[in-house]
Amino acid sequence: MAILEVKDLKKTFGKNPVIKGISFDMEEGEILGILGPNGAGKTTTLQMLLGVLTPTSGSVNVFGKELMPNKTEILEKMNFSSTYTDLPWRITVSENLTWTSWLYNIVDRKQRLEKIKSIFRLEKLWHQSFGSLSAGQRTRVNLARSMINFPKILLLDEPTASLDPEVAAYMREFFADQRTKFNTSIILTSHNMAEVEELCDRVIILKDGLIVGADSPANLAKKMEFSHLRLRITKNASELDKLITLRHLAHIQEKNNYTITIKESLLPLFLYEVTKKNINYTEISIDKPTLEDYFLKVARSKSEAL
Amino acid sequence: MKLYRIWGLTLRYLFLFRHSLDRISDAFFWPTVDIILWGMTSSFFAKNLEGGGNTLILGLLGGIVLWIFPWRSQYEIAVNLLEDLWNRNLVNIFVSPVKFIEWVTALLFLGVGKAVISFTYASLLIYFLYSANILSVGLVLVPWAVLLIMFGWVFGLLVAGIIMRYDTKIQTLAWTSIYVVAPFATVYYPVNSLPAWAQSIAHFVPASYVFEAMRSAVGGSPPPLSDLIWPTLLCLVYFALAIAMIYRSFNHILKRGLISVD
Repeated sequence: MAILEVKDLKKTFGKNPVIKGISFDMEEGEILGILGPNGAGKTTTLQMLLGVLTPTSGSVNVFGKELMPNKTEILEKMNFSSTYTDLPWRITVSENLTWTSWLYNIVDRKQRLEKIKSIFRLEKLWHQSFGSLSAGQRTRVNLARSMINFPKILLLDEPTASLDPEVAAYMREFFADQRTKFNTSIILTSHNMAEVEELCDRVIILKDGLIVGADSPANLAKKMEFSHLRLRITKNASELDKLITLRHLAHIQEKNNYTITIKESLLPLFLYEVTKKNINYTEISIDKPTLEDYFLKVARSKSEAL
Repeated sequence: MKLYRIWGLTLRYLFLFRHSLDRISDAFFWPTVDIILWGMTSSFFAKNLEGGGNTLILGLLGGIVLWIFPWRSQYEIAVNLLEDLWNRNLVNIFVSPVKFIEWVTALLFLGVGKAVISFTYASLLIYFLYSANILSVGLVLVPWAVLLIMFGWVFGLLVAGIIMRYDTKIQTLAWTSIYVVAPFATVYYPVNSLPAWAQSIAHFVPASYVFEAMRSAVGGSPPPLSDLIWPTLLCLVYFALAIAMIYRSFNHILKRGLISVD
């Protein structure tokens, strides 16, 4: 059953249409990625899903209910974290999490705060003012705040952008774990494609306010026909040049290192020809298409709604 | 409305006071400066008067002390909103189940708390420095305080609404706006000393009725409470309009998105 349904959502700022009519839904326990170049409308979409931005038209239904008339009830079970927001700087981490905890109907408030402190490794930061923390530490506190009510739906706007790799990996594991243990649904925007591939069941790609791609990360990557073949040539490089010209292949050459962009279906034949022409190489690698390749293709192409 | 959410919002501001010397000191600093300055001034004039000197001192200092109610209640609403805007915290509040009215209620009551603390301090100060006892006017002080606090709320909500709509570039209003109405509130002088055009304005300023009543009371002839009916009605109308105005401003910023508000 869809836990969140978005229908024909539009947002115009002045005369500038930012979201031009998007529809999607999310199942319970699903992790949905929203990708898009800067200005594609990702944060605008998240704001409308949280009721902190009024859509120009369209509807958002959460837990089977329309968002705006049932906002208080719905937001009790949702939360949000963004690299673009802060908490009050002058007060401590402990105080920030305490006051935000009172905004939710939490029965075991003290134990909840202790649990959050431990999950997000905040012991050493607990009595420090929020403003004295590094960007990464602030992100961690913001994430902790977003989990204070153990939400059923969690919206994360570039959640690991300023975290160091170890903490970012820990956070990814934590979010995946939340889904497995508590069936938490997560919407995630990120510019980190590896993170999206690792975490998300499904990805929506936004461009110029339209959904231009929607599928699992693996299926989106498969839509790319080209692989990158890397060879370090030791003999008969001129034969390889002729072969590349003959097959009209795009390539980059740095000394003896060739990176050739080639359709996956033509790869076996091309490698056979390389061998037949006595072209010797010491290193070979084949990079299969990734979500990033698909994203780049979409980002560089003209927008067309799905 | 849920009390626990209002308490959560109140806690946020109380925690801030604990860490902000400027926010604590401003509750005491300006009343102290005003009381010393005006206390000395009025003492000087009182010495040169033949009789009625004490009435003059208590009238002036009573004005300063009572002015704390509208000033603090306005100031707390506007400055606490600014704190949320400076910290980009508004979005954290409204992605939670907090209702708009709960947020406004927390701001209003914080103003009352700070006003009562400053008033108590200032009352003690004028008593110890000038032997002037504002409590001598009796229980009538309670309806005066309520009316003045509500008048401060009106200004606080108006200023908060304007800042929300036009951003922090006009944040100076948070500190200065209520002084626009101070001359017509007749804090230090009677309404009939104003020019005719200013008297016409003063009739629509609820605070002016309280300061008139205070001066009459310290002069020994307290006016009947029924004199407060008109200013109370005025205040209620202004309060309703101010609530409507800030609600419109809030809806206006929802059209821009709370993340982009600063």
